[in-house]
Amino acid sequence: MSKPIFELVDNLPKKNITTMMLNSLDFAVPGQWQNLVGFENTIRHVTGESDQEMIQQIGDRAVWLFNDKSQGYQKALWLYQTVDNADNALGTAALANKVGDKIPLLGGILSKVTPNPDKAQTLDLCIKLVVELVAFCQINGIPGDSINDFVGALGDYGGESLMRMAALIAIDGLIPLGPDFIQKAQSSLGNMSPKELESNATFKGVKDLIPGKNSRGQLEFIGTSFESVKSWMINFINERNLTQGKVFERVKGFVDVSEDKLDYVAAFLDMTTNYYEHTGTQTLAVRLIERAYAEI
Amino acid sequence: MNNWRKKIVAVLLGVVLLTASCVKEPPSRFDQAQQDSSSRGTSAVVKESETGGSFNRYFPSAGSGYERVYTQEKKGFAQAKLKKDGKSVATMAISDTANNPTARSKFQNSQGNIGGYPLINQGSKSTAILVADRFQVKISSSDTTFTESDRKQWLSKFDLRGLSKLN
Repeated sequence: MSKPIFELVDNLPKKNITTMMLNSLDFAVPGQWQNLVGFENTIRHVTGESDQEMIQQIGDRAVWLFNDKSQGYQKALWLYQTVDNADNALGTAALANKVGDKIPLLGGILSKVTPNPDKAQTLDLCIKLVVELVAFCQINGIPGDSINDFVGALGDYGGESLMRMAALIAIDGLIPLGPDFIQKAQSSLGNMSPKELESNATFKGVKDLIPGKNSRGQLEFIGTSFESVKSWMINFINERNLTQGKVFERVKGFVDVSEDKLDYVAAFLDMTTNYYEHTGTQTLAVRLIERAYAEI
Repeated sequence: MNNWRKKIVAVLLGVVLLTASCVKEPPSRFDQAQQDSSSRGTSAVVKESETGGSFNRYFPSAGSGYERVYTQEKKGFAQAKLKKDGKSVATMAISDTANNPTARSKFQNSQGNIGGYPLINQGSKSTAILVADRFQVKISSSDTTFTESDRKQWLSKFDLRGLSKLN
């Protein structure tokens, strides 16, 4: 049984490394993401209503919808939670070392961070993308492997969903893998065996909900999904003129690190942030509230 | 003196422990719904409910500068956004009140009708009608330029007669 949805939304952090990172990416998707926390606050924001009786009815219905497992919302939440593998202790330690508004990435903290090899990093990126696709279908109710519907919907992404995709491209793509991360991901997927996929920790966590009969089928699904979303990602980068350098400049606004430690920054952010869970919970709350508002 | 200090420490420790044992999530106004919806055999959507996909065809088409984007399609529910110049101005939804029968009661205070179906304004931004005493069709403004009369106009563009035959 999941925690109550109102508790999850009430407990979203107002400020931590995740929100610092997301705020630093505002330049890529200006004004799209505000850190909306608190269940009632979200109801007010989404509906524009302030009548107490209405807020009660909307919240109650949203709670019912979330708790009905057949509706897919809990699966989506589980996916968003599981694909992030944040190390809370490291995050807390890093925040405690903050000097002014910056976290120094040196000494003890740096020694706890191990950069991911390229292959593992590309796979992480691809799996996160597929998790977004599957969670999207669970939340919005189109068949679980409807890649085309998802690609169409990406064009309409906004708010915290668009910010999640921006962070995926910037933090899991550009920073660790550089400007040709899309080609790198494709070639590494192309050379991957089902066995290698099975041994990947991120995949192990979420594999039960990835479409495909076996790991070979799942590997194919990951490949097809990535291929379909490729041109959307390329457009996203080109339209915004996003580069590794620009993203790194922004990250240096809250992490104190030298230029040649990009792979350490990537690993550090991977270990200390849970932006999929954070923004995924926000997406889920918004969709539930929109539906509840229409149904009461 | 030492004894006196020990007593104070003991009392303080007791207070700390007592407080710590009481610290848990504060009660929420949604606790009752959480409890009711978590008990065995409850569900938010009933078996008899129409599928969301069966509602899509009754939505009004895009046109006159408006774009229609379907956003959610779950059992008993379908929703689309209405966009103008790329900006969302309203959401339109059809829901099966078989899943939430209390939604019907507000229509007893109906303030008019569209196509003979009772109409009501809800809150400050929504207008709804009840078709065939079962399907709720609702439009909510997400932009102030989309007024109550726009909502009524767009409600009348739904294929209400077609929807009523689903019952």
